This record gives sequence, structure tokens and C-alpha cells, in this order.
Amino acid sequence: MSDETTERAPFRNPGWAGNTGEFELSEDEVRGRSYVGEHAPEGGHPSRVPTVPYMLPEKDPEAPLFEGPYAERFEKILSRYPNRRAALLPTLNLAQELRGRVSPETMAEVAQLLGLSDAYVRGVATFYTMYNKRPVGRYLIQVCTNVSCNLCGGDEVLAAFLEHTGTEAGEISDDGLFTVMEVECLAACGFPTAVQINSRYFENVTPDDVPAVLDRLREEAS
Amino acid sequence: MAYPYTHEKEVRLLSRGWGDPASRTLEGWKALGGYEGLRKAVEMSRDEVIGVVKDAGLRGRGGAGFPAGVKWSFMPKEKKGPHYLCCNADESEPGTFKDREIMRWTPHQMIEGCLIAAYAIQAEHVYIYCRGEFFETNEIVGRAVEEAYEAGLAGKDILGSGVDIDVTVHVGAGAYICGEETGLMNSLEGRRGLPRVKPPFPAASGLFGKPTTINNVETLSAVPHIVVNGAEWYRQWGTEKSPGTKLFCVSGHVKRPGNYELPLGFPLKELIHGVCGGLREGRKLKAVVPGGSSVPFLNAAECETCSLSYEGVVEAGSMLGCASVMVMDDSTNIVKQVRRTVDFFSHESCGQCTPCREGTTWLARILKRIETGRGTEEDLETLLDLGDQMTGTTICVLSDSAAAPVRSSIEKFRDDYLALIRRGEKVGAA
Repeated sequence: MSDETTERAPFRNPGWAGNTGEFELSEDEVRGRSYVGEHAPEGGHPSRVPTVPYMLPEKDPEAPLFEGPYAERFEKILSRYPNRRAALLPTLNLAQELRGRVSPETMAEVAQLLGLSDAYVRGVATFYTMYNKRPVGRYLIQVCTNVSCNLCGGDEVLAAFLEHTGTEAGEISDDGLFTVMEVECLAACGFPTAVQINSRYFENVTPDDVPAVLDRLREEAS
Repeated sequence: MAYPYTHEKEVRLLSRGWGDPASRTLEGWKALGGYEGLRKAVEMSRDEVIGVVKDAGLRGRGGAGFPAGVKWSFMPKEKKGPHYLCCNADESEPGTFKDREIMRWTPHQMIEGCLIAAYAIQAEHVYIYCRGEFFETNEIVGRAVEEAYEAGLAGKDILGSGVDIDVTVHVGAGAYICGEETGLMNSLEGRRGLPRVKPPFPAASGLFGKPTTINNVETLSAVPHIVVNGAEWYRQWGTEKSPGTKLFCVSGHVKRPGNYELPLGFPLKELIHGVCGGLREGRKLKAVVPGGSSVPFLNAAECETCSLSYEGVVEAGSMLGCASVMVMDDSTNIVKQVRRTVDFFSHESCGQCTPCREGTTWLARILKRIETGRGTEEDLETLLDLGDQMTGTTICVLSDSAAAPVRSSIEKFRDDYLALIRRGEKVGAA
């Protein structure tokens, strides 16, 4: 290896898993998209059906729980557990995929579907951080500031996202596109700073990369 | 290949295939010898499978280091109802990033390990509890399980053995505590992820109240290699008490961070200065957290002689945990990083036990006060006292895990605290 490549983050590809080190890999190869294949709304084989939500950018807060392929997916979820209670997390995931958040009304509907009380479902849903209790922007940007990323500038990356989206943490930007939040360790500590944007990881992100990442998202949304 | 960097000292058993997209597929995994372990296992008796894993001395890679074969042997031999296997893929210990690599580069390696373990403990259903944030990784695992079903490796009558094993990929929703074994089981049952009082242990009453074994992704991924090659082969690496290879997740202030698969007992000093290319130019080592956020800090002197085995790290004054080595150079503000660690535990405390719920909050508040130059020397005594009250007093060890870095950092880096307290100004550049 040359001296130059032993510096931190030698191969920079802002916008996705930035540092592939000694490997020549495309974004698709890192993300495994062609292996996984197209998103099937009904969820594919029952064994994998709880691995969705897909966290799609398009959401409909009024979407019914559940119709068409989503009803099929719900039935597949139920088939994988010995009781209906155990299907609660996957069902909430599915509701959030459609609606973009889990409101108290959604919790009540899910409770009815699974034969649980509203209060029980609310108790569970509020325990888990990934259920958005409030609306979020089209792109939920979560920046890791835990120790490994923090040592390498996670706080500065968070600040850059807030600055370039013109938001405070947790707010939706004026154009409805972005919500930026701090997140706990994303288990990508060797690729600091790790940022999760909807379902995608963006790694080795530095403050300088932030405008390019946001431009890419704006382009995808247009 | 250990993505993103490799090193000649590595012994690549679990990490071979990383960085090569072909190894994700069933075909690619089979080309690497995949599913030979499962084929061999179903021709052996269950006791023989448990025996070889026991003899290999494979220790749990999720942090506690409990021998996997021994854990399996706790399962009832007489099956009276369903048995379950949980694969703990809820990787969320700060500093740890090995399971995600196994899952996204060699998902079949983990699935094969799950199937062998399920066969050994007579489990009819494997639940792979994946971390919710791993959307992309989980979809890769999901596709791989689907491939396994299509090839008759999972489901009814696997490989013509007459044994049925279902596999379901379950996804969490963002809670560190669900990585605790009984918290994970509660979460899988559709409850809050609150850890349970033990006993009863999971082998007696686990998931859905049935006998259950839970293993970490890395533990299960080592199983196929052991079944194919035997216990003696596996013991050629590592130490007597810590046999085999381990994925070391190195992050922080090194030139080449990443996962490196090395024999247990590898010197910490050589890992940092050799394998990882050393620290940034002009910097000196200040501290290392060798096993993820839950373990005590080591100072530079302790790192000199520390050997990375379960027993070696204890001897050096910390714990191996999941071998998540976080390296801090002399630019690091230790108090800030301890405060950040405790903030994490405070956020992730499930709130069940008072010493943890209240203790983590107060630790975080006092540390923030010190970090911002408003602390007193008495605060240090309060922190230590609080830490004592939080250790060994709760259902799970999250509380102990929050206290450990506080105590060790005050003992080893007291000057850093005092500098902030006496001068009311920040130290370090981090």
C-alpha cells in the first residue's frame, strides 16, 4: 500500500458506503440490491416477510390497514408466530411503511387487528424508538454520534446536516423533504460517521460530504 | 478478505468471502464449501453435534463468552413441546460492527449455523432477531433464507433427513435492550423488551415459555466450520481457555479501522500498531475500550501487555466483551466520551429497575456538569458511589455496563476530570 492510501478514508464516494478500503465495489454490490431483487408489496416468501418494511419515501397517512397485497403480507406475518401478540412489531412496521408514522389512531387499529387493547399497543409502540410518533420528512436522516463516530467527528456531521437542511433536530424542513435526528450506534463503527437515511446507510460521511448527499436526495425526490 | 481492509496476520474463517458479492448467494456460499456442515450434522446424532462444539471450546461471541456447546446441552433431551432457537442479530453495542458484516456478505454462513444449532437442540423454529435499523442487511438475510427454503435446506425434511426446521427473520424496532437475551424474547413475543428475572433460564422457559437457546450471529457462524473440520482443528488457534478465531471490530483513531479476524490471544498492541496501521501521525495512544461501551477503559500502559483473549483482557483490567476495540488517541476528551457513553445507556435503559433508570440519568447529568466546567471534586465521589449502587443490583447488566466506564475512567484518567473541575475549561481537542 502506498502512503497515501494508509490515510483515513482514502476512497471517498460521498453519498453511499464511502470507504471500500482495498475493495473495488459498486454501490449496488455494497447494498446488495440486485441480490435482493425488486420490492414485492406482498413480501415474498413468508420466512422473510417480517424483514420488510421497506421504508419507502412515498407514504399515505390515510392508507387502509390492510388491503390487497398488504393484507396478504399481514396474513403471512401471522402465519409465522404461535400467537397474534407476537405479530405486533411486524404489524406496526407494516403500518409505518404505509403511513410513515405510528399515530395513536394507528395503534388503536393495530390493536383491533391483533385482539389486543389500545393501551397495551401504545405501551409497546412507545417503547421502541423506530416508530415515528410524529410525522417526519420524506427523508429521515439519522446521524450516529455515539463514541466511535463521535471520536471521528459525528457531532460535526450532525451539525452540518442541520445547517444545510435549515432545521432543528426532529423538525421537518420547509420543503417537507428532510428530518434530521441524532441516533444511537448504527453498528458501522469502522466507517465513521455512519448516517442512516430512510433504509439506506451512508458511511464515512464528513461535514464536507453533506451538501452532495442532500443534493442526491433532492434529485431522487424530484 | 475482511472488508474493508485485510491483513496478512488474519485467519479468515468467518470473514472469507467478505467484500465479494458472489459469496452472498447460495451458489457462491456453496462454492466456499457452504452447507457441508449442515449435511454432515444431520448425519450425526444430536449429542455428537453438541459434543464437537463443546470440545472445540467455542465461546459465545455476544459478549458474555459462555461456552456454546454447554449452553446447548442445557436443553431438555426429551422433547415435550416446541423448542426454539433465537439468533441474536440485534447488534447494537457501541463499537461493534461484525454481525452486520456477516449478515450482508455471508448470510448463508449464519443461516447454516442456525440450522445446525436448531438440529442439535431439536428446535423446530429459528427466529433470527435482526436489528430494525439494518433494512438493507435484513433484506439480504431475508432473500438468503428464501433461497435456503427453495433449495430444501430449510422447511420440511431438510436435506432428506426427516427433520423440519422453519426459519423466520424477525425485525426489531430500535431498542438496545432487545440484545439482552430475555429482553429479546419478550420483544419477539410482541412485548416491551424488558429483561426477565433469571431463573428460570431460557433452556427451561424461554420464548413463548418453551425451552429456548439463544446465540449470537458470530457464534452460530463459527459452528459450520467446526462441524466440518472438527474440534482439534478449531483449537489450533487461540488459547486453551479461548480457542479459535474472533472478529475484532476496530474503530476510532487508527489509520485502518475495520474488522480483522485474528486468533484469540492476539496482542492488543500489535492489533493497533501493526494490523490497523497505527494511530494518526504525531498522536499517542491514550485509552482503549477493548470490548464495546459496556466494559472498563484500559490506559496506554495496560494496552502494552494486554492479550486479546477472554482471560487476557480480564487480567489487563477490562473485559473482551464482543471484541469491539475503540481506540482513543491523546486528542480525546475522555470525560466527553464517558458522558456520551452514559447518555447512551440512559437513553436505552428499559426503566424496569430503579438503580438503572435513575442511576444512568444522574450519572449523565453529573458528567455533563463536569464536562461543561461546573463540576466539583465531590462529584467524582458521587459518581463512584452511584456506580457502586448500580452494580449487581438490577435484573440485567445494562446498569453495571453504564457504571463500568465511569468507574474505570475516574480511576485511570482522574487528571482529565480534575483539569475540567479545577480550571473550568475543556481538555483535549475532540
